[in-house]
Amino acid sequence: MKSRVVKIGVFFLLPFQVWANTIIVAPRTNVATLKQAVTLAKKGDTIVVKKGTYLSINTVIDKELTILGQDHPILDARFTEEVITITASNVKLDGFTVKNSKTGSMRDFAGIRLSNVEYVTISNNILINNFFGIYLSNCLHIQLLHNHITGSANIENSGNGIHLWKCKQVLIKENYVTRHRDGIYFEFAKKCLIEDNLSEKNIRYGLHFMFSDDDTYRHNTFKNNGSGVSVMYTRRIAMLDNTFIENWGSSIYGVLLKEITDARIEGNHFIRNTTGIYMENSDRITVTHNDFISNGWAMRVLASCNSDHFTQNNYKGNSFDVTTNGTLKEVYFNNNYWDKYDGYDLNKDGVGDIPYRPISLYAQIIEQNPQSVMLMRSFIVNLIDKVERAIPSITPESVKDDKPAMKPWKK
Amino acid sequence: MKTLRSTMLLLCCLLAACSHGTEPIQYGKDACSHCKMTIMDKRFAAELITAKGKLFKFDAAECMAGFLKENPGIAIDAKSMFLVNDFNQPGQFADARKSFFLRDSSFSSPMGGNLAAFVSRSSAESAKKDKSARIYNWASLLKQVNNEVEGR
Repeated sequence: MKSRVVKIGVFFLLPFQVWANTIIVAPRTNVATLKQAVTLAKKGDTIVVKKGTYLSINTVIDKELTILGQDHPILDARFTEEVITITASNVKLDGFTVKNSKTGSMRDFAGIRLSNVEYVTISNNILINNFFGIYLSNCLHIQLLHNHITGSANIENSGNGIHLWKCKQVLIKENYVTRHRDGIYFEFAKKCLIEDNLSEKNIRYGLHFMFSDDDTYRHNTFKNNGSGVSVMYTRRIAMLDNTFIENWGSSIYGVLLKEITDARIEGNHFIRNTTGIYMENSDRITVTHNDFISNGWAMRVLASCNSDHFTQNNYKGNSFDVTTNGTLKEVYFNNNYWDKYDGYDLNKDGVGDIPYRPISLYAQIIEQNPQSVMLMRSFIVNLIDKVERAIPSITPESVKDDKPAMKPWKK
Repeated sequence: MKTLRSTMLLLCCLLAACSHGTEPIQYGKDACSHCKMTIMDKRFAAELITAKGKLFKFDAAECMAGFLKENPGIAIDAKSMFLVNDFNQPGQFADARKSFFLRDSSFSSPMGGNLAAFVSRSSAESAKKDKSARIYNWASLLKQVNNEVEGR
């Protein structure tokens, strides 16, 4: 009897949950803008926006709402303001085209701004020509999924594609970012996951960390960005299975590491970059199972780095495998495959019998005297490198791989 | 006569080559001498010319201060030139020694220093947003940076 009462009770309660209102926004109807719909809506309602072009001069979403666009309706700020600002938690914004936020140096105008909110999902949107694309400040538990973000590629009027400031636990997945200043920018953002994104042709960095600890990025591709990817002043970052490709030019790096500690770099591909990894003041970094293929410098490890381990990586077709600017201490190479290794393996255990020294004499000479690059691949350079390998005298004694692999590592 | 003329010409060329002056920053191309980041933001960039004429570019005043912390010889040399971009006139250099620096949490300068430079104390005052904001002059800024750990 009691359970029946409960059942009936539940039956009466249910409809209130299911019948949250749905408000339809369409051009030339009573509700012709998203702003009107938000004013009309109550907490928990759904707003469906039909196909069309809508003026959106900083539409503020201050209620818990699900806002869905059908066939990517266009929200246009006509360069006068931000397009959308979300100030309520538990909002979902899906399927819009958001474009033309104001640009200008005094304030960071954004296509979609999230400010002091939790549990918001921004998915399947197309952002075009905004100063900043998606801008998160002081947010928690946010999901940014399948967004396609294109900036103006104008050096003076480009902010970051996805910008995080003081955030925690944000998931950034399957987005595409191009033509912005930094594709994805993290400042004081902790415990975030960046997964399966493509960031290409951004003016500065594909991805940029500042003072952001305990983040993971994996399966992303960073291609042809102004200066590659930069990880600075952070702790405990995991960089897994990413591809860094074609980041070319002076002071341009696949990954730039500066003052970071306890990072893991595993399973990444560094292909055709000027410098694959550049490391400065970076301690306790483990670099394992990565491929360095056809880079100018596979790695530049400055003497300010300590306790770093490079294990089971493949170095193939790089002009220089490793270079440094002084005396490297506590930097360990072990069991890597080096295509320049010309030792032998008499006992056939797959490990070369004589150590490999990844820093060539010629690399040391270039370090002192950059102009000598014109002698590259000349007979005399080959000769001095061969002599130096046979009787090391100038290259650092401590930097060597005692167990070089005879065959490339496969995953 | 001919040799004299050509020698003069050569001398003029050589003299022109050692100009001791500023150099415009190529935004989006030049890298900061301290933090290695590409310089992008016209509001915050800075430049330093040593007594010998060596030129360093920075993406922010806090980077120049950090660089001077590591090279105190340049900092105390009266012949060094320190230039900062005026926040109100992005891209315009001002003499850092005569400028005022506002540290206000509402600025997001490139290296997290929250620092902007102004040509006058009054314009720095009027740009204040945060109550805890502080205004420094060049000497007190360097002192402050010397006493703190970068960034955090």
